[in-house]
Amino acid sequence: MSTAAERSASRKRAERQEQVLDFVDDRLGSSRWIRSALDKIFPDHWSFMVGEVAMYCFVLLLVTGVYLALFYSPSSAVVTYHGSYAPLDGQKMTQAYESVINLSFNVRFGLLMRQAHHWAANIFLAAIAFHMCRVFFTGAFRRPREVNWIIGITLLLISMLEGFSGYSLPDDLLSGSGLRVVFSIVQSIPLIGPWLAFTVWGGPFPGSSAFLERLFVIHEFIFPLLLAGLLGAHLAILWHQKHTDFPGPGKTEKNIVGSRLWPQYAIKSQALLMFVAMVVFGLGGLVQINPIWIYGPFEAARSSAGTQPDWYVGWLDGAMRLWPHWEFRSFGHEIANPFFPGILLPGLVFTAIYAWPWIDKRLFSDYGGHNLLDRPRDKPLRTALGVAALIFFVDCTLASATDLIGNGLQVSFELLIEILQYGSFIGPAVGGIVTYRACLLLQRGGAHPIQRPVGGIIVRDAHGAYHTLGAAHEEHAPGGHGADNGHSNAEEAVLERVGADREEAEADRAVRTGPGHGAEPVQEERQSGGAEPAVDEQGDQGGHHRQG
Amino acid sequence: MSQAPVPVARWRRPFEAIRRRALGGPLALIGVAVALFAVLSWAGPAQAGTPVRWTVPVSTKPADIKAGNVLFDLHCSSCHGMGAVGASAPALLSVGPAAVDFFVSTGRMPLNSPKAQPVRHRPYFSPKQIAQIVAYVNAVDVAHGTPGPGIPAVVAACKKQGPECPTLSEGDQLFLLNCAQCHDASGSGGMLSNGYVIPSLRAATATQIAEAVRVGPRPMPNFGPGQFTDQQVAAIADYVHWLSTAPDRGGLGIAHFGPVPEGFVAIIFGLGILLVVSRLIGNRG
Repeated sequence: MSTAAERSASRKRAERQEQVLDFVDDRLGSSRWIRSALDKIFPDHWSFMVGEVAMYCFVLLLVTGVYLALFYSPSSAVVTYHGSYAPLDGQKMTQAYESVINLSFNVRFGLLMRQAHHWAANIFLAAIAFHMCRVFFTGAFRRPREVNWIIGITLLLISMLEGFSGYSLPDDLLSGSGLRVVFSIVQSIPLIGPWLAFTVWGGPFPGSSAFLERLFVIHEFIFPLLLAGLLGAHLAILWHQKHTDFPGPGKTEKNIVGSRLWPQYAIKSQALLMFVAMVVFGLGGLVQINPIWIYGPFEAARSSAGTQPDWYVGWLDGAMRLWPHWEFRSFGHEIANPFFPGILLPGLVFTAIYAWPWIDKRLFSDYGGHNLLDRPRDKPLRTALGVAALIFFVDCTLASATDLIGNGLQVSFELLIEILQYGSFIGPAVGGIVTYRACLLLQRGGAHPIQRPVGGIIVRDAHGAYHTLGAAHEEHAPGGHGADNGHSNAEEAVLERVGADREEAEADRAVRTGPGHGAEPVQEERQSGGAEPAVDEQGDQGGHHRQG
Repeated sequence: MSQAPVPVARWRRPFEAIRRRALGGPLALIGVAVALFAVLSWAGPAQAGTPVRWTVPVSTKPADIKAGNVLFDLHCSSCHGMGAVGASAPALLSVGPAAVDFFVSTGRMPLNSPKAQPVRHRPYFSPKQIAQIVAYVNAVDVAHGTPGPGIPAVVAACKKQGPECPTLSEGDQLFLLNCAQCHDASGSGGMLSNGYVIPSLRAATATQIAEAVRVGPRPMPNFGPGQFTDQQVAAIADYVHWLSTAPDRGGLGIAHFGPVPEGFVAIIFGLGILLVVSRLIGNRG
């Protein structure tokens, strides 16, 4: 169809593009780097994308946050409201609260942006938590990735603080009540508590007029900058060390199998960004969150029954409710009650999480580097401990909702607290033991509980005896749990065949959905220190190259 | 709609023509009535300066009292005793119409067992029967010489603050200061110690709210005339009624319970959808 004129025009266009690219390349020498970067290979597993969900939530938080910052005023000067919201008419409030009310009702897109910001924050933390669980349960934090684990936990910690500081900025009743609790917790730190609290707040609660301004600088400048910097480091280290992957056909400790950054992975990732934006703005437009006009401006004499923090701080609120009314006195100093659930518990929890890569090394006497992941069942002890910790977290989070649960189920508040107090011990213990047993059973069964019916493969050995075997799993089951060791040749042969079937199926899938140019799944060598990834398109090498 | 404003002079002429045909009088009257009605219904019935009667009259007709007596004997006397003198449940000799109307119209009474916690139900009696029971108990109280608080009248909030005109803002402040500790700032209820469930206020009528304020159904304290004027009670009732009927700004108000259901939605729907999406696009090479 194309005429000669069109053809020459497109040729001209291509030339011009080349000129521009040459211009950039001549000056920055970037084309080599870009080419290798675009060819960088990322493994294809859905759970590896949840960290990206968090990253895109952060991007949306920045975008919506910038819009909100245009209209928010961090001033605690008292004004009288005469705006469009009748129930607040004539009430005295801080300028901060008034600015958020005006931002919600009188600014175009204001309420949408505010709600999207809040939903994005809640989903951000949820995605980080899920990502952390994925890394934990698959052992992705092991050498050489301990540094990235520490950066990740720091990101989680800062995100929690960032979320709480944002929750406190509107200066509504929930904000004030939350700050009141935190003020008391800070005060309860032995010896330095009162000094610290008075320094941060600039006086006794509710603090000096500078407090909101400080909080604003922290929320919109310091923490986002820290988050952005640490996120950059997190990604740079990921880029340098290359992503981990589950063991599978053609996957070794030394290579990485998956799709190239351009075009496959970039398009997947951008699709994810669109979906994250859809969910965040969809919720922001359709579902109410934090209706501060109902809570009213903060006044010390007021409080509301359902005063809870956002979900990611709920476990600490719940711990405060569950903690018995103990107080200790020694050397003339009282250690106030809120110290234990408010400072000591999160301190211990985060210390344990930070130290986990080294605890894990000790626990499993495994000091080597790993690029291939564990399946959760491969390390029953780690998985059981993780599940126990999650149950403890859920128990504490439920405790922060005891008034709502009691209201819904018409159960006494005290009974619920007592159940959850016992539950915080019994739940993790039972959950851990059940998980441990389940891991062992799964190892024996060898099948994925979702993809295949639970059970096993029955094999007849050379002596005529029947055994239930794990299919392709014996090689990296630690300590040879479950199945008999030392199979006869016949048994090995059957195993081999079963394994080969699965491999064929998976290789098939890889071919079907594989990269555009070339039928084989792409792979790349891992080099421990090399910055230049060597691209290797040998294709599927067949057979196992896993190392335990 | 976007036409230029029509000059007044051009409009006056047809009106004059109509008046000349002797139709103008009634038409003008109807017009004024419609305009008045619109203004009144916009601003609420109680204008600044209009005297407001703050209690609803209770029937003293012997027929109503007698009918109420029959109903009382059938449904209430097994616990409250014949003649409301009390038995396994308290005597009702000084409770007044507000308490009776509140407990019966919210379906809290009759109660299956005197030990059970009265919670909101579909009312057992019709409004007419409720009025008859109220009339009977009121008559007993009056005869005993100890009449209790009457049923508080509630007027719709006014746009402008007048001497006897409650505003939403007044109700909002009183509600947040006195009620929100237990009933939540959004009126959705909560939990007290000893297994007392704090009810949601979202199903209650304005009159029932005002009655509860005056009566104090256990474990709620009662707020007498020394604490709230009649106008303040009306302001609280108006605000709560507004709270439960006004459309939610910003979308679906999930149970109006604050951050806990919000976190639930964020994790289950927000992250849940994104996990499904990750699963769908993540495993493709």
